[in-house]
Amino acid sequence: MATLLERLEANGISRRSFLTYCASLTTMLALPASLTPQIANALSKVDKPSIIWREFQDCAGNTESFLRSRNPGVADLILDLLSVDYHETIMAAAGRQAEAASDAAAKKGGYILVVEGSVPLKDDGVYCTIAGKTAKQHLEELSKGAAAIVNVGTCSSYGGIPAANPNPTGAVGVPSLVSNVPIVNLPGCPANADNITATFVHYLTFGSLPARDQLGRPLFAYGERIHDSCERRAHFDAGQFALAFGDEGHRKGWCLYKLGCKGPNTFNNCPAIRWNGGTSWPVGAGHGCVGCSEPEFWDAMGPLYQHLPNVSGFGVEATADQFGVALVGATALAFAAHGVAKYAQHRITAEPAAQPVAAGQPTEED
Amino acid sequence: MTILVWERPVRLIHWTIFIAVIVLAVTGFYIGNPILVSGGAPTDFLMGTYRAIHVAAAWVFGVAVVARLIWAFIGNRYSRWDQFVPVSRARRADIKTSFKYYLFMQRETPPGPGHNPLAGLTYLVLYAMFAVQIWTGLALASLADPGSFLWSVSGWTFSLVPIPTIRFVHHLILWLTLGFIVHHVYSATLIDVEERSGVLSSIVTGWKRIRPGQAGQAE
Repeated sequence: MATLLERLEANGISRRSFLTYCASLTTMLALPASLTPQIANALSKVDKPSIIWREFQDCAGNTESFLRSRNPGVADLILDLLSVDYHETIMAAAGRQAEAASDAAAKKGGYILVVEGSVPLKDDGVYCTIAGKTAKQHLEELSKGAAAIVNVGTCSSYGGIPAANPNPTGAVGVPSLVSNVPIVNLPGCPANADNITATFVHYLTFGSLPARDQLGRPLFAYGERIHDSCERRAHFDAGQFALAFGDEGHRKGWCLYKLGCKGPNTFNNCPAIRWNGGTSWPVGAGHGCVGCSEPEFWDAMGPLYQHLPNVSGFGVEATADQFGVALVGATALAFAAHGVAKYAQHRITAEPAAQPVAAGQPTEED
Repeated sequence: MTILVWERPVRLIHWTIFIAVIVLAVTGFYIGNPILVSGGAPTDFLMGTYRAIHVAAAWVFGVAVVARLIWAFIGNRYSRWDQFVPVSRARRADIKTSFKYYLFMQRETPPGPGHNPLAGLTYLVLYAMFAVQIWTGLALASLADPGSFLWSVSGWTFSLVPIPTIRFVHHLILWLTLGFIVHHVYSATLIDVEERSGVLSSIVTGWKRIRPGQAGQAE
């Protein structure tokens, strides 16, 4: 089999552009530049690790994102290094043939299991059944021989949109079902292709998953809030806000906080690496972040165009501030009424007070 | 007969908390909903200033709350922890008496020159709210630097509860605290009018007039 360098040459890609790509990956992984040669070296002689990419309750959005990785020439070849043995969306095989490919890869063991989509548990998991087996059964079987699990997207990481209220299928993310295999979560709706590629490259170079935070996310990608690396942050600090889409502040590129931007609630590296090959990203395009990569997206991030969630459970939804004003107002009214009633109580019971009802001390001061 | 009920540290802490809460409320409402919008001058630093004041006032508030908790173990009998946690049978029985007073079932004001047991219980709830408020505030502040000490202490909160929900709780407790202030001022005024004990001025002077029947409860 041809080595990576031979294949690069055959495709007319210079060693220089390959090294440039390796350097950018080193930066993305927040590794010292001195490690670039190690990454290039590791990638040049990588021995096709097997990948099983399973889609459960998903929209294939992460697949779409992954297929549009930043640097088509080099990145595609790097991705060619991976032996994708099973991937419903891009594989040629179908039916029994496809399952046979998955079974063969699973038998070998040591593969990377990529999961896209959530796993339904309600009614014995019938809401996602592939080749006669439920998503949960597939996950249980495939996680046994997996060297690592990479959850791409919010659904497989935390449950995502299928798990949103009222969660009709009882959907959960992979980490709540699997615990004995190293797991990395790449949440996002979809996950950024560059983050997926960088995670694979880290694995190919070092043989391990990148360092992760408490929610299983790689620190190189999710180590900082969008709010703290946002290009509009200076406008937030200055108090310069867009108040409506298309108003003067919006046209000047001011902060989208008052339009419900969830950047202050979201850890991701969108401002730094952007999307579609570094073209732009939501806030750069003038729309607030919706917090798609955080746990309990969709429920916790709503309403999308409001800073805080609403107060529900009173028949009508109200904003937190409407609720607060009503609460304080009602308290004031209730106590005013109480004061009037206390006054009345003293007036009404003033005469009978002299009668032997009172037990104990006198209440009236002279 | 007048007695010293609220010692100097209790009064100092009371007013520190009051001022801090007002500052925190004003700046907090601005941070949640910045109604003052800069015109675009390059030197403007509105949100930054409000946030800085909010954080500074929050530390003052937090220190005052902790100081009050410590004083609950070293202060006089009216400031001790058992005024808030009804551990004694007598205090628990008096909760009923206090309820009766507030529900128009009895005319006599609740017993004692210090906090009546029902009021004490209310402050217990208030301090529980303060604890949640301080915790969520620290956690939200730590978001800016997940490598910090603050994050290592409080960051785990966000493994359990999503960030917007924590903001929501932090915001609602501010409203509940304002609701408490309404209750607090009303009840103190009511009891002052009823007892003529000077309870309103006592939080400045420390001294209260007590009724003959209450004398046994004084030192």
